[in-house]
Amino acid sequence: MGKDRVGAGGGRRQGQGVVKSRGGSGASGGGKRWFYILLVLLLVFGITALSYMASRPKQTVSQIDSTIPPVPNQGHVVGSDSAPVEVVEFADFECPACGSFATLTEPDVRKRLVNTGLVRFRFMDFPLSMHRNTWPAHRAAWCAAEQNKFWEMHDILFFNQDRWNGEATSRPDRVIAELARPLGLDMDLFNSCVGARKYDAQIRANVDEGMRRQVQSTPTFVIGNKKVTTAVSYDEFKRYVDDALAASRTTTKVK
Amino acid sequence: MTRRMLAAVVALVGLFVALYLALYKAGVIGTLACGTGSCETVQLSRWATFMGLPVAAWGAGYYAFILGLVLASLQDRWAYSRRLSLALLVVTTWGVIFSAWLTYLELFVIHAICRWCVVSACLAVVLWVLALLDWRAQARLTDL
Repeated sequence: MGKDRVGAGGGRRQGQGVVKSRGGSGASGGGKRWFYILLVLLLVFGITALSYMASRPKQTVSQIDSTIPPVPNQGHVVGSDSAPVEVVEFADFECPACGSFATLTEPDVRKRLVNTGLVRFRFMDFPLSMHRNTWPAHRAAWCAAEQNKFWEMHDILFFNQDRWNGEATSRPDRVIAELARPLGLDMDLFNSCVGARKYDAQIRANVDEGMRRQVQSTPTFVIGNKKVTTAVSYDEFKRYVDDALAASRTTTKVK
Repeated sequence: MTRRMLAAVVALVGLFVALYLALYKAGVIGTLACGTGSCETVQLSRWATFMGLPVAAWGAGYYAFILGLVLASLQDRWAYSRRLSLALLVVTTWGVIFSAWLTYLELFVIHAICRWCVVSACLAVVLWVLALLDWRAQARLTDL
């Protein structure tokens, strides 16, 4: 069929070139076979790669090197000093995964683990450079902490993430100040604290601590001797806490 | 290798890229975490959904459709169909426009670049060029 066309086209160079490139001639019939072989190989390769990635165990929990010293007394803490387990969270206020942990899991963690004296929860700032408005949020949290309202501000920031994040506004300070109103802060003090970037050094110190612990994504939790790098459900969280509790009990017994 | 064969290979590669992103969006691949790189920012933004479906799923459908068209055009029966050639050009033009819109959103609205989305945008441009060349060759052929 292709050959007929070439004949009809008068064998002009241009016409021939086009038909040849169409693969209609007998010579490229073999080429076509190779093409289908290549396509099938590509298909098999692609499917294998995708199924490998889908079935790969998600590397979200790892053992912490026991020679690394515990997280220093930095950041913000909720819970009893005598709680047997300390959980440290490295988080970015603008990170959606941190937001989903704070809204979906953290209320249960506070009610069932922190308030019952089992867990002391430490928040460490880990603002990521990819988030435009995260620094203003971390500053706001520290300035609220100055007036003893860190956790209240923490919740407001996470629960309203979509109102002040980089997609929503280019003036996060104003939006956050508006959201903070129900907290009854001394707003003059708060605004001047945020404006002066009073706690940037403390935030940076927390980031440095995260860097030392090779935190690469947020949220990252340190629970006992495990590092968990994903926003986990309450049940999973509880399991890690139970493991840490069991471990701390055995070490106490040995002692 | 001919233009259409090359287009088929490009469409298949695009299909896998889009499937990868769609599976990521569905939570099958990897974890929901804010890591280095900005794929998560883009994929979790409100622009990652178009008419109720993830953009990546639309992309997978788009590449599958192109692949179907190109494979049909490789059959002797349709090898000289001008209509098929034109359809390919129209669909890939739409693909380029849509990719350009998404890239604009990444650069100026979300302020984050997703590498796989850039790969997809490049593939869409390559497909469009191939379709344009094919359509011109086809038009010349039928003019004879």
